[in-house]
Amino acid sequence: MIEVQQVTKQFGAFTALEDVSFRVEAGEVYGLLGENGAGKTTMMRMMATILRPTAGNIEVAGFSVIKEPNEVRRRIGILFGGDVGLYSRLTARENIAYFGSMYGMGRTAIEHRIKRLSQMLEMDSFLDRRVGPFSRGMKQKVAIARTLVHDPQVILLDEPTTGLDVTAANMFRQMIGTLQAEGKTILFSSHNMGEIDKLCRRIALIHKGRLQYAGTLQKLREQYGMQDLDDLFMTVVEGSGR
Amino acid sequence: MRGTIIWTVFQKEMRDLFRDTKTWVGTFVIPLVIVPFVFFLMGSSYSSLEEEARAHVPLYVTGTSGLVAQLEAIPGVKFEQPADPEQALIGGKLRAIVTIPDGFDERLKAGGTANLRVEYDSSNQKSVYARDVIEEKVAAYSKEIVAKRLRAAGLSEKATQPIHAVYEQVASEDKSSGGMLAGVIPLMLVVSLASGGIAVANDLISGERERGTLESLMSAPIAANQLLTAKLMTVMVMSCMSAAASLVSLTLILRFGPFGGEELGLSALSPATALVLLLSILLQAAFFAGLELMLSTMAKSIKEGQTYMSGVMFLAMVPSYMLMPLHPVDIPEHYYLLPVFSGVSLIKEVFYGMVDPMHALVGLGTSLLYVALVVALSARFFRREGAVVKH
Repeated sequence: MIEVQQVTKQFGAFTALEDVSFRVEAGEVYGLLGENGAGKTTMMRMMATILRPTAGNIEVAGFSVIKEPNEVRRRIGILFGGDVGLYSRLTARENIAYFGSMYGMGRTAIEHRIKRLSQMLEMDSFLDRRVGPFSRGMKQKVAIARTLVHDPQVILLDEPTTGLDVTAANMFRQMIGTLQAEGKTILFSSHNMGEIDKLCRRIALIHKGRLQYAGTLQKLREQYGMQDLDDLFMTVVEGSGR
Repeated sequence: MRGTIIWTVFQKEMRDLFRDTKTWVGTFVIPLVIVPFVFFLMGSSYSSLEEEARAHVPLYVTGTSGLVAQLEAIPGVKFEQPADPEQALIGGKLRAIVTIPDGFDERLKAGGTANLRVEYDSSNQKSVYARDVIEEKVAAYSKEIVAKRLRAAGLSEKATQPIHAVYEQVASEDKSSGGMLAGVIPLMLVVSLASGGIAVANDLISGERERGTLESLMSAPIAANQLLTAKLMTVMVMSCMSAAASLVSLTLILRFGPFGGEELGLSALSPATALVLLLSILLQAAFFAGLELMLSTMAKSIKEGQTYMSGVMFLAMVPSYMLMPLHPVDIPEHYYLLPVFSGVSLIKEVFYGMVDPMHALVGLGTSLLYVALVVALSARFFRREGAVVKH
């Protein structure tokens, strides 16, 4: 479903990603693991066609991010890390509906979808309130609903649990389970090893722009003879020599 | 679909803006309430100051003359005898000191010239008023003496005025009032068109980028140009609203402010000049909106955007101030080819009631070209890779 083919991204003289390749299968929750600044967000931005690879290509659902960016955009929903990116003077419903209309959805379709997402994310009590004063957890729910409003096949989640409390992060992980059951393909980036361990069977580990490992967690454990993912991560990173 | 996206983004931007208290205060409350209220306060304070200055005019007069009785006859004048007149004048207890030297009237009767010393405080408006009324009385007293001297010489007062000149103005009343306002209105309109969009343009790109909404929006299947068009429309609407609010504000100030009863003279516009005015305003709004959005795209942060935007104000103010004292016939022809200058010149012609069709054609045509240029540039910057990503 997502095919990353020898992707390099440079910003002037700085190489953010170098010759990275991995593949995410349809219906899979795939982990993109790396420290802050490893290049995870740059990779996500290229998948979302916000940035263009300097070399190589990425195909999402069979469409190239370089040649068919609009087809790619139609099929993905992305939740960027850090700021949740909501319009604080609009209500939760207005925020979600606005993004729905950007995907060409009709009013009735948007309303039905909002109703469904509101139930799934338990947002009914604050759906018609302006998002400005919301807590981080409430905002994150609205941002997720906004990401999913057009029912995308591929969901890109860039450090989605950053800043969430334990309850909200747990609710988030349950939601990922629900989405996986619906057959969605999910690429989940994080620097939290425990989280990746709970959600993903396969991962790509990036360190300073280079791919260090791509495959199942089980094979990684067998290869290094370690169970603890934090220890594994440190061993792989230190062994990279970068 | 393309039009629907533009309209949806535009509607959202307007809804978002009108829920912001800062927008209401900046666009409507300040120009429509605060500015006229400040002028009203200035006017009423000026009136009460004048009233007070007329009601009580304490003077210190030394010496004797027929002039003393005339000064005493001025309404509100009261002669005071302070211990230290100079200090009383500085302290505001006296409005003026009049020193009449010995033999003042005798010198005048003998046909000579006599000195009169009037001390006043130019920093005190009430003292300046006292100086004015004393000056009037001295002039009247002088006139009486001149008349007596002329009669004694067997001449009439007309002998001192051999020429009776009559000055008649050829401009119509509308044109004349337009002339007074034509200096101020282009300045006010162009500056408010530029300033009205600054905060909005900065927020719509730099602000959205900082909050992360622009990146999310651009991951949807919409074209950058659709988004930019909607944002351009939003900034233009806000600029035009700011200009309209400034015009209403000026009308209120002219009608109720300290200048008393001036009219804006919009009724004198013909359909053709009204069209030129409307097109000039719209093109200036589009030019500033395009420029502001371009600067907002170039800026790495809201703060950097604010710094860049000061250049826009400079661009609006320089032509407006340069053209303020000029009559339309004195405006150099090449000004109609320059950005902003052409708009200010045409607005000026409209309010003078003398729009030259060739100037209108050239001015509007070049303005349109400049709008196309800034919009193309801002689209180019906006489509640049990474333009929507937070730095």
